[in-house]
Amino acid sequence: MEKFDIVVIGAGPGGYPAAIHAAQLGKKVAIVEKEKFGGTCLNWGCIPTKALIATAEKFAEISHAAEYGIKVDKVSFDYAKVVSRKDEVVAKLNSGVGALLKGNGVTAYSGTASLISRNVVEISGKEKVKIEADKIILATGSESFIPGFIPKSPSIIESKAFLAMTKLPKSMIVLGGGVIGCELACMAAMFGVEVTVVEMLEDILMILDKDVRSAIRSNMEKMEIKVLTGAAMTDISATTKTVKGKVGETEVKAEKMLVSIGRRPYTTGVKLENAGIELDELGYVPVDEFCRTKASNIFCVGDANGGPQLAHAATAQAVRVVDNICKKERKAMEVLIPACIFTAPEVGVVGLTEQDAKEQGINVKVGKFSCAGLGKAMASGETEGFVKWISDPDTDQLLGAVAVGAHATDLIAEAAVAIRNELTVDEIGNTVHAHPTFAESWMEAAHSVHNLCVHSVVRRKR
Amino acid sequence: MAQIVLMPKLGQTVEESTIVKWHKAVGDSVKKGDVLFEIETDKAVLECESFYDGTLLKILVAEEETVPVQSVVAYIGEPGEKIPDAPAAPAAKPEPKKKAAAAPAPVEQKKSAPAVEVAKPAPVAAPAVSSVPSRSDSATAKKPGRLFISPRAKALVKNKVVKAENISGSGPNGRIVEKDVLAYLEQTGYNDLRIAPAAKRLAADKDIDILDVTGTGDNGRIMVRDVETTIAEQPQTMSKMRQIIASRLAQSFGHIPHFYVTTSIDMTDLLEYRKELKAKDMNLSVTTFILEAVVMSLEESPIVNSSTDGVSVRWHSNVDLGVAVSLENGLVVPVVKKAQTLTIEELQTQMKDLSEKARTGRLMPDQMSGSTFTVSNMGMFDVENFSAIINPGEGGILAVSSTLQQPVVKDGEIKIRSMMKITLSADHRTVDGAKGAEFVKAIKSKLEDVELWKSLI
Repeated sequence: MEKFDIVVIGAGPGGYPAAIHAAQLGKKVAIVEKEKFGGTCLNWGCIPTKALIATAEKFAEISHAAEYGIKVDKVSFDYAKVVSRKDEVVAKLNSGVGALLKGNGVTAYSGTASLISRNVVEISGKEKVKIEADKIILATGSESFIPGFIPKSPSIIESKAFLAMTKLPKSMIVLGGGVIGCELACMAAMFGVEVTVVEMLEDILMILDKDVRSAIRSNMEKMEIKVLTGAAMTDISATTKTVKGKVGETEVKAEKMLVSIGRRPYTTGVKLENAGIELDELGYVPVDEFCRTKASNIFCVGDANGGPQLAHAATAQAVRVVDNICKKERKAMEVLIPACIFTAPEVGVVGLTEQDAKEQGINVKVGKFSCAGLGKAMASGETEGFVKWISDPDTDQLLGAVAVGAHATDLIAEAAVAIRNELTVDEIGNTVHAHPTFAESWMEAAHSVHNLCVHSVVRRKR
Repeated sequence: MAQIVLMPKLGQTVEESTIVKWHKAVGDSVKKGDVLFEIETDKAVLECESFYDGTLLKILVAEEETVPVQSVVAYIGEPGEKIPDAPAAPAAKPEPKKKAAAAPAPVEQKKSAPAVEVAKPAPVAAPAVSSVPSRSDSATAKKPGRLFISPRAKALVKNKVVKAENISGSGPNGRIVEKDVLAYLEQTGYNDLRIAPAAKRLAADKDIDILDVTGTGDNGRIMVRDVETTIAEQPQTMSKMRQIIASRLAQSFGHIPHFYVTTSIDMTDLLEYRKELKAKDMNLSVTTFILEAVVMSLEESPIVNSSTDGVSVRWHSNVDLGVAVSLENGLVVPVVKKAQTLTIEELQTQMKDLSEKARTGRLMPDQMSGSTFTVSNMGMFDVENFSAIINPGEGGILAVSSTLQQPVVKDGEIKIRSMMKITLSADHRTVDGAKGAEFVKAIKSKLEDVELWKSLI
């Protein structure tokens, strides 16, 4: 039986960085993957959706070219070509990960891993192989699923199947107004699909503050997406051609239905019980702040441990776990994880939100700046949205930030640096931001925390 | 004329009280019987009701302020009514002066007290004076002299969020000048510190010296959480009740030579008998049996029910039995007076009533003083054995532990019995070893003798 210092199970955005980083630190490393290198993120998540959304945005932009004085006759698209471009992007990145693993000397096994004991992993691929591991890092991830109460039909699909479609439906219901649902709804609508979003909660994207939500919702409605909230979808029935159901009193009907009401951890086949690890009631692997499981040599990073289901969170955890193992450190996981949502307009958010603060009884002071007041935004014709700082009124500390509008997902990086390093509102305000840029909005919003924003009219309380 | 609200005198021994909470604000209308404020004496927290109808016109003693009893704390009257500048409150006058001087105040404050009294006539000024010492002890006590520091140095110290008290000055009279601060920063390693801006702001806000903070961020960077840890570790003034517990325990343990006698009591038969009684709707708690056995045994061993100051001994004719009741934030000891005159059922009723009052903070000070012996029962906490500290003024205290199922040799066989340990702590100056042993043996033989209880009930 071959023996490794570290065996990583799963080669997604948690697993492959763990393996490469450990190998770079001189460990003998194996990685086991049952499907494709890159995991959900690269193959069925972040990357393919962004490839499709990029095309959708370009299409929408070109359709509005006249506003910029560009004449374009007859704009149209070939969705099969759009999808094959996406597949090319995925394939390129996919082989890139393979090359990185190989180049860094990681032994890759193809097959499904299960634990025989705390130190022995069995891989069921073309043949059965057993390997020995000093340390094991679980990075098995999660999968989208369709819950049992929804009828099984080829017209009802989850995100993985949606991304594989080479033809768009004429109309589509999106069940679940969370991040994935709203992103794909916006994308489909930009390609001209008639979209209805159904969300049981009072609003879509409930993780965001109300002002952010309504900015997105109103734009979605402008794109003629029907948004139904506050009621569950009932009486769901499906044929091969249509799906229908009721949302409260409203009848909804469409050619396809995309179900995006959550993901479940991929942990059942791994036989963690053989190492003495019990799953929690939702199937996640319980871990501490160092991503350690109950078995002292086994760690779990990414979606499977029940933390934020974000690729970059998994990567950050993976690298930290490997550092802790290899450098004999004991550093806890980062808790400040920014999140990006690729709706139209897009959103970047990090740290405390206003509604979090309210819920936790934290007193905060907020500063907002609207993109409409920004020279660059006007010049680019992208004046939708705003940025917002959430700060501690006593110490001026920046506690949270959100950006909604053009380039928001890139803009949020500055806020993450500021919040993690515990900068104050004044320090962002005093940092000179280049003009004309979208990033200036952070500086302006910082000034407006103290009601001293030059580029907005401040109403003084008397 | 507006009515005067006084700080009530609750019990013989209470000399000053702290207002912990005002239930009414200035301008609120008040009815007779409404709770006006809560006070904390050295023994308990109590609610004080209004004797008058009217409007609360003025509050003279703010929350957290301590004033002598009989001080004026507020005025009640008609809205707009004039409040006397120097009220003629005869009861208030003599007391506060004395108390203000007697309070453990730093020397300077004692001196300034009369001056204040002259400037602002008596009762109103008095509370303000006597409330000072409890808060400011650490700052003023450490550095009696004034701190001499140049404006530039002061600004620098403020900017760096360190304490000037720790810097030695090189100027005349030890005046701290800028270069002293710079040298201090260099020598303490301040200049190598990495500090998150928000952490520095928080430290400045909360008056924390950055040099007292240990950083746990990247490469030891001082983060907000580190300052929060330092804040949480700052010494905090304990509640009045805690302070009293502390000083009484320290006084007792320091002065009284304690000795301890432990015995195991077989409770099996008594528990069985208690069950029988329960079936007959007579619900006596195990504690009641123990207390009754203690009362009877104290009568047999009067020396345990006596007290000494080391020179004389006082033999108490009554058994005034204190029973420790634990509260969330401390402990009180309500006292069953003349326990030897009560039937076992009366004892239980009184005890129940007193502990209920203790738990809801409605015990009057007289109901928790004057005990001659105390029982501390930790039976409910699953403890095998412990020893207690004697309440000052008493000759002993009995620690009662949990009743646990244990293998016991009985009639030459190993049996499972319900065993309970008791430990007497006695004042060795008056109670000899043998006397202590006799006392615990008396309790043991009573609790193990079911026939005795049958004859009593």
